[in-house]
Amino acid sequence: MPDAFDLAAIVTKFALYLGVMTAAGTVMATLMFRLDRTRGLAAAFAVLGLAATILAFSLRGANLTGDLSGMTDPEMLGLLWTTPVGTALLLRLVGLGLLIAGLFMGRVGAWVSALGGVVAIWSFDHVGHISSRDTTLLDIALTLHLLAVALWIGVLTPLKRLATSTVTFASAADVGHRFGVVATVAVPALIIVGGYMGYQLVGSLPALLDTGYGQALIIKVLLVGLLLGLAAANKLRFIPALRAGDPAAASHLSKSISVEWLVILAVLGTTAVLTTTLTLPT
Amino acid sequence: MKAILFAGMIGIWATGAMAHSPLDATTPTNEATVTEMPTEVLMDFKGDIRLTRVAITHADTHSMDMDLGEQTAFTQEFALPMHDMGAGTYVIEWRGLGVDGHALNGTFSFTVE
Repeated sequence: MPDAFDLAAIVTKFALYLGVMTAAGTVMATLMFRLDRTRGLAAAFAVLGLAATILAFSLRGANLTGDLSGMTDPEMLGLLWTTPVGTALLLRLVGLGLLIAGLFMGRVGAWVSALGGVVAIWSFDHVGHISSRDTTLLDIALTLHLLAVALWIGVLTPLKRLATSTVTFASAADVGHRFGVVATVAVPALIIVGGYMGYQLVGSLPALLDTGYGQALIIKVLLVGLLLGLAAANKLRFIPALRAGDPAAASHLSKSISVEWLVILAVLGTTAVLTTTLTLPT
Repeated sequence: MKAILFAGMIGIWATGAMAHSPLDATTPTNEATVTEMPTEVLMDFKGDIRLTRVAITHADTHSMDMDLGEQTAFTQEFALPMHDMGAGTYVIEWRGLGVDGHALNGTFSFTVE
């Protein structure tokens, strides 16, 4: 059974994924779909990402000593700093720092924030199961996967907000439509690279069915399937209806996005378990 | 739905062993019985590692942390000097850091007659 440190590591990683992906996705979506009033949202999730980044690093120190003292032990943290874990920490701090700074820099700032978001996302290439494989194709796959996921997450809250006021129904329909167009490329890419990474990491059907890692991956895929169903309903029913001026569609869209958020939280939670306590099949 | 997801996640998480046990061999070997107290314990890892903590428990009573002051590099083989605490089972719990940044840990034991 996992101990308190494993549990803390999972919760911290969940917060890290949520913070980095939502902050990066929000600034990417803002730039791509010219969204308004997203600064508070991006800043809040970037701060969550920063806090989780620091706590996650500190918890790794505790893992080295086996007790709380490791969290602040300069020798342990200094040792971690020399490994790829230190590189990932640096990229996350710089990336999220740029992202936040960009929020206060006007028009150019949107690009600075987006660059920061990409740097923070790129940090995930430096640690974990993918980086230990040491293949460039897998690194590229992971980055593409995460960028597509971030954009998806990032568009949700602004879109929901637009869909809750009659004044902005037209904007909601427009943003939803344009995201739908991007998604016709991004979502298949997400599935293809996700499938490729899964195959590379798990390798065989027995490993998929019989190991904890494989089973967690199956849960993740089922959840993503659910998410695709919701997204399809949005794209094929609610957004076209909203564009046609049906006000009831806005409320359906808003509810659908809330459910999407819940499923996304479950996906990120499953991923945190996958990357923290489960070993890859050998 | 949330309850089902939560239950599923707990189930999976309970089946996962704590990752990474890259210890290739030890001298004395795990669960061996030896007639004489060894002067040192050898640990041979599959990859380079930096030991960060080694605790020895003798006969479930005395527990002490080894001084790792001399170990300042990433390497594969370690020889740790042992103190003779008499007959009984010695349990060695170790923690370390792999060069890739992964935290590693494990336990092995041997018995002195």
